[in-house]
Amino acid sequence: MTLEQMVVKVISLKKKHRIAVAWAQDSNTIGALNKAVKKGFIEPILIGKSAEIRKTCTAAGIDYKIFTILESENETSASSEAVRLAKTGEADIVMKGLVGTDKFLKAVMDKENGLLLSNAVLSYVCAMEIPAYHKLLFITDPAVIPFPDLDQKVAMARYAIEMAQKFGIKTPKIALIGASEKMSRHFENSVDYSIMCKMADRNQIKSCIMDGPLDIFLACDKKSIEIKGVETPVNGDADILLFPSLESSNPFYKGLMLFADGQLAGLIRGTEKPVIVMSRSESEISKYFCIALSCLMA
Amino acid sequence: MVLKNMNDLKRLVEDGPRKKLVLAAAQDQHSLGAIIKAWKDNIIEPILVGDKEGIENICKSNNYDITGVRIVHEPDPEKSVETAVRMVSSKQADILMKGKIGSSTLLKCVLNKEWGLRTGNLLSHFALFEVETYPKVIAVTDVAMNIAPTLQDKIAIVNNSVACLNRLGYKMPKVAVLGAVEMVNENMQATLDAALLSKMNQRDQIKNCIIDGPLAFDNAVSLESSQLKGIRSEVAGDTDLLLMPDIEVGNVLYKSLVFFAKAKVASIILGAMVPIVLTSRSDSEQAKFDSILLAAAACK
Repeated sequence: MTLEQMVVKVISLKKKHRIAVAWAQDSNTIGALNKAVKKGFIEPILIGKSAEIRKTCTAAGIDYKIFTILESENETSASSEAVRLAKTGEADIVMKGLVGTDKFLKAVMDKENGLLLSNAVLSYVCAMEIPAYHKLLFITDPAVIPFPDLDQKVAMARYAIEMAQKFGIKTPKIALIGASEKMSRHFENSVDYSIMCKMADRNQIKSCIMDGPLDIFLACDKKSIEIKGVETPVNGDADILLFPSLESSNPFYKGLMLFADGQLAGLIRGTEKPVIVMSRSESEISKYFCIALSCLMA
Repeated sequence: MVLKNMNDLKRLVEDGPRKKLVLAAAQDQHSLGAIIKAWKDNIIEPILVGDKEGIENICKSNNYDITGVRIVHEPDPEKSVETAVRMVSSKQADILMKGKIGSSTLLKCVLNKEWGLRTGNLLSHFALFEVETYPKVIAVTDVAMNIAPTLQDKIAIVNNSVACLNRLGYKMPKVAVLGAVEMVNENMQATLDAALLSKMNQRDQIKNCIIDGPLAFDNAVSLESSQLKGIRSEVAGDTDLLLMPDIEVGNVLYKSLVFFAKAKVASIILGAMVPIVLTSRSDSEQAKFDSILLAAAACK
């Protein structure tokens, strides 16, 4: 499946998802929302300075009447309002507009009024389309958890599996990424990975084919498997790459976007309802794919 | 190939060339009884190091005929151990056996840096059980030597035991890493170590065997029980070697097999230049005899 095909799938669901957008006066966001409204899979609620929202729409040649617009004074109140709408069931999805990520997430993670599931790990999964790879590659966690411990890695794996399944991959192949395929007690990640593989063996992590540590070649390149002679059920055909740290996964996906024409759709996991967090500098098409992904996961 | 019982073990060694077994502090009735039986059965050629008069008295009062057996007179027990160990390190003997001397004294000599039997490997205890309720013999390690093995120790213990089983004719012995449950549990170190050992085996970092764990005891030895639990494992129900999490579990299992299940047991120490028979004074003569068989089969 490609990201475009994902959009087709979302359209075929024939459901209009209500998206509450916090501090919405951002042209890329409004552009992406407009596109999704036209395709018929969302009903946006834009929260922010209504005059500015209308101005941004007009400047982009978009009819603001297709949006429900709610007046809000500042970034914080707009974020709280978006989260409140999701909490009360008036919205299905929450999206970050021009607000800073920290202020937005503060509202999402608020203990009383936020959207965080109790005891859940907050993490991020994205689906990447890379022309050089034969299918979508799911990546976790390039945005939220700096140094995941074993429990967090297990949660990351489960979120990624769940997302891959929504794309129709029943038993995704998940590669736990390291610098080498050997188990060494001196590399904590290889220890965690070995434990996770056994958990997958024992069905403590379900519905996947898991192996690790594997380097990216062994995870995604059949030729390397042949050359190295490593027996692995992932077999150079990974659907999911789980990274040991944010500092390894973040440059990986950004490098792919910059040098390999990668395209991505990503989502926060661990919340009651999908939450779209994207960098303000993200392109309109990326935002559009993220909106579609959130509808797929809603 | 698997061994069904101690008779199979005996068949392994009775046609081969006789191994030279040196008994340290040989003035010991139980050891002598077992050794003479193994000698008469053409399995070993004994060398007795110890108090000559004591040895002869024991043989006379038990009607053991030791005509033709080499005796090296050394009345001091500690010195007799040194003499015996030196015979092994100078390749005059293939197996070392403990007579009437404490285990710690014998091991101290084995570990002597100049003339001992060190190889750089960890010493570990290896026991082989014949139990009526299991279709083949089952090896258990380590029930007597390493108290609380670390992951590195466990790797060494598995390597010792697998090398021994390979010599007994097992090409790819199935190794179950024992836990209280078959699931990985962060609060149970044994289950975490088991996961790591499994992965190292998959990556060929531990060779010549198939490792799975954690497995609870029932999953390890009963296919029915592992199937009931839905465990997918090449090892479950067909275990050749059980790796114990620590000496407490191992020792209790060992003794309950012997006392409650009336198991036959053979045991040796691995990791030195040669197999060492280090049975305790309370072991039966049969157990000592079977241990000699095991040592002879485990020789390179």
